Amino acid sequence: MEQLAQQLVNGILIGLVYSLLAIGLTLIWGVMNVLNFAHGEFLMIGMFISYWLYSLAGIDPLLSIPLNAVALFLFGMFIYRFVISKVMKGPALAQLVVTFGISIFLANFAALIWTPNFRSIEHTLLSGTWDISGVKLSIPKFVTSIGSVLTSLGVFWFLRNTRIGKAILAVEMDREAAVIMGINTERINSLSFGIGSALVGVAGALLATNYYIYPFVGGSFSLVCFCIVALGGFGSIEGAFIAGILVGVVQTLGGYIFDPAYKLAIVFAMYLITVWIRPQGLRGL
Amino acid sequence: MTRRGVLSVLAVSAMCLMLASGPAMAQQKVIKIGALYPLTGNLAATGLDCKRGADLAVEIINGKFDLNLPLAKGEGIPNLGGAKIEIVYADTKGDPKNGLAEAERLITQEKVVALIGAYQSSVTKTGSQAAERLKVPFVCSDSSSPTLTERDFKYFFRVSPHDGTMARNQFEFLKELETKLGKKVKTVALVYENTEFGANVAKMQQQYAKEFGFDVVADIAYPANASDVTSEVGKIMAAKPDVVMHAAYITDAILFTKTFKEMNTVPQGFLTMAGYIESDYLPTVKADGNFFTVRSTFALDLAKKKPMVGQVADLYMKKYNIPMGENTARSFSAPFVLADAFNRAKSTDPEAVVKALLETNIPGDQIINAWKGIQFDPKSHQNIHASAMLVQILDQAYYTVWPFDAASRDLVWPFPAWKDRK
Amino acid sequence: MQGISSKQMALGGVALALLIIFPLLVDSSFGQHVMILTFMFAMCGVAWNVMGGYAAMFSFGQVAFFGIGAYASSFLLLTFNISPWIGLVAGGLISALLAAGIGYPCSNLRGHYFAIATIAFAEIIRIVFNNWKLMGAAEGITIPMLKESLANFMFHSSKLPYYYIMLAFLLVSIAVCYWVSTSKMGYYFRAIKESHEIAKVLGVDVVRYRLYAIMISAFLTSMAGTFYAQYILYIDPESVMIMPISVQIVLVAMLGGANTVLGPVIGAAVLIPLSEYSRAWLGYKGTGVDMIVYGTLITIIAMYQPEGVWGSITNLMRRRK
Repeated sequence: MEQLAQQLVNGILIGLVYSLLAIGLTLIWGVMNVLNFAHGEFLMIGMFISYWLYSLAGIDPLLSIPLNAVALFLFGMFIYRFVISKVMKGPALAQLVVTFGISIFLANFAALIWTPNFRSIEHTLLSGTWDISGVKLSIPKFVTSIGSVLTSLGVFWFLRNTRIGKAILAVEMDREAAVIMGINTERINSLSFGIGSALVGVAGALLATNYYIYPFVGGSFSLVCFCIVALGGFGSIEGAFIAGILVGVVQTLGGYIFDPAYKLAIVFAMYLITVWIRPQGLRGL
Repeated sequence: MTRRGVLSVLAVSAMCLMLASGPAMAQQKVIKIGALYPLTGNLAATGLDCKRGADLAVEIINGKFDLNLPLAKGEGIPNLGGAKIEIVYADTKGDPKNGLAEAERLITQEKVVALIGAYQSSVTKTGSQAAERLKVPFVCSDSSSPTLTERDFKYFFRVSPHDGTMARNQFEFLKELETKLGKKVKTVALVYENTEFGANVAKMQQQYAKEFGFDVVADIAYPANASDVTSEVGKIMAAKPDVVMHAAYITDAILFTKTFKEMNTVPQGFLTMAGYIESDYLPTVKADGNFFTVRSTFALDLAKKKPMVGQVADLYMKKYNIPMGENTARSFSAPFVLADAFNRAKSTDPEAVVKALLETNIPGDQIINAWKGIQFDPKSHQNIHASAMLVQILDQAYYTVWPFDAASRDLVWPFPAWKDRK
Repeated sequence: MQGISSKQMALGGVALALLIIFPLLVDSSFGQHVMILTFMFAMCGVAWNVMGGYAAMFSFGQVAFFGIGAYASSFLLLTFNISPWIGLVAGGLISALLAAGIGYPCSNLRGHYFAIATIAFAEIIRIVFNNWKLMGAAEGITIPMLKESLANFMFHSSKLPYYYIMLAFLLVSIAVCYWVSTSKMGYYFRAIKESHEIAKVLGVDVVRYRLYAIMISAFLTSMAGTFYAQYILYIDPESVMIMPISVQIVLVAMLGGANTVLGPVIGAAVLIPLSEYSRAWLGYKGTGVDMIVYGTLITIIAMYQPEGVWGSITNLMRRRK
């Protein structure tokens, strides 16, 4: 029973990390209808930025969150401006291929300049575990998930209460109508690509506190993230948030109760069953 | 054409001429060996480790070194007029399909006379198949799947121990733990990454657990690229085993170590392999890696008994500025076995080399690994002396702890509780 | 889709003749290997096109059918000593049936939901095979080396038979694709692609025709899988059921030109030699430069030829006329 509670907690913790990653992905998706295959590699870059800030300048990953967000925001805008925007008018597959090419490029380029070796950040502000009546709670993971919740709330607030946020939502709902309303969709595209990337940057800084860092780290997250975004409903921020937690819990509890070898199969089966009943995902339009 | 243009054309042609005439001027025979390793992609760090080991071995064979290793003292292969060895590397990216293609390419285009590699057993499988078809010797010193030497290939030889031997060694250790140290172990949990490597290890461990009379209380396979392993660790803890046996690659080894600490998993001991002895493991987990016991064929403290090991390790440190580790030590041995065979065969003809390989008898003091020597079984072509030892991570370094008579430090058993550390 | 002009016929004939004599002129086993892989991925790309290009169902899970084809023939050969040729058909049928079984519940999924569903499906298949003891689980299946003969679908002394068999497979799949694109079915597919609703109004049984497309695609992809197993002689889920193969198939189809019969062939002819030769020439350095080049090139091609290389070739030819 204690183990079950423990697994539930662990599931929520990893689920919140998934949520944060998926929100960035779904935002980009919802606004410009592009599935960013390089999302995992953006995460990798975020983690490396935190690592270098830590090892060269002694800046704790938690303090590097704002720097990370800004850096990835600019990086995302840059990638959008010079690569993605060129294929926005082309077929959907061309956009996929482009992001896929970027992902191969980034991972291998990182391996070239930073070597393919593994790294980790050892002495962060946070370490250790709390023991709450037998249930262990890793402090870095806990802070990571709190960070994820706060960031997600921040995104909600931003989208609903700022001019740019409202414009983004408008484009997401109906691009043509937004154009007629005088919204510069090109600018909105690049902004949302930037914001989506910035969210991954935040996730990267948070994950860097308790995860290993290496050029191919993105691969272990991207597949699950795609599934979460689709499960939540493409473009739905709250859908991605809920689906992230759901996948985290199902994966962890499923692995514990049945067989860890099948834990991802359970997650994918859950997706298939969900879209069979609700073809638009949990919260999709 | 401007004058500068003419000049540069001249310079380029001169350089081409020099390059073309280079080998002719040297008049030195070069023996090419092909090496298959995952040099890019997510196993690149491991592949590059292996490459460094083979490179150093070739440097020692080709140059003059006062080391007690086969052919170290003279330059090149004496019986072939001092011919030098050259390794031609090929990148497999860890894909069996590439193992096949690159083995063929190295043999037919690069004209290599032998192959070494390929780290992952699945790639070695297809690579050695190509070698067998094209009748070229393949000396493997780093893949551990028992099936490789069960095929009775004519051209395939393995220097390093396979998973069956290593699993048996682990259980021998557990038995001796009781008979010699009076520490009783009854139950084990098998945890393994679910690809060719881990699944094979677990199969062997199941078999030997039965033979040695231990209860397997959990048999947990997990996806190799998992991003979270808390449910696996939860399952381990629920089974309450005395010993956790873990077969992992590097990513999962790091992840499990962190999760064991987080969830305060404290069995009597951890018997681990592969990932836990990768050169990136300790630099990544640092002090959290302490007290894990790892199966190995090499440790720096072997230098106490074989001073040559220390000299090689120093050379390695000087050359690459990182300490020598298990993967490097394994890939280091294959070029020596081949060079020794070339020398005795006085030829690089495949049939002669195979014959010489079958007669290989390198004594234990001439290898850096912890084996009693290298001699191949006439049928399976497995090195009959290959075995594993156990090293334990103490003060963030690997020390030999078993066989007990070869130990350089005393085994710390049981595993100290996480909270009692430092 | 228009009929084939005599000029195109002649061009095709010349190309085919060149492909037939190529291995006789180029006596390099690596060169032949690259061609074989090119044909194999071209075939998968053509098969992808039947559902992805014509019927607009973007599948990122083709590797499931590829893997099932590889496993079906290998399992039958290993366990019951059944010829791989029968295994080829059996694998194709199993893949087609499975495709129908999974395609039916997914038939109302659109666009990206469908794409992710195919990934989910392929991953489930991979995980099942990875744990299925009867199928060798994670250890995979080593195909026994039999005497070389056409009946055994196995050749040791030369790659030529593999080369010609794969070329024949590719031609078969091109023929099927051409037949699909010119038949009534092809028009239905295009109607479905334009709009489910309009197709329904026109009286097209959307679900049924979508299933046909998936099944044809699955059968052909499965054939390529059987070929892979007989060619490499070792399979495990890590080498025949992983997502990167699906992505490779999509890349081949897309870069060559989705929605055209020969596009994927061109795509494969660009991509496969690029990745194979860059690995052979640059990979040994261990710097990953080959992958950097590869990533950059596919990005650039997709940026400047979003309709695929084939599209620009035909445009060029049309302009010449």
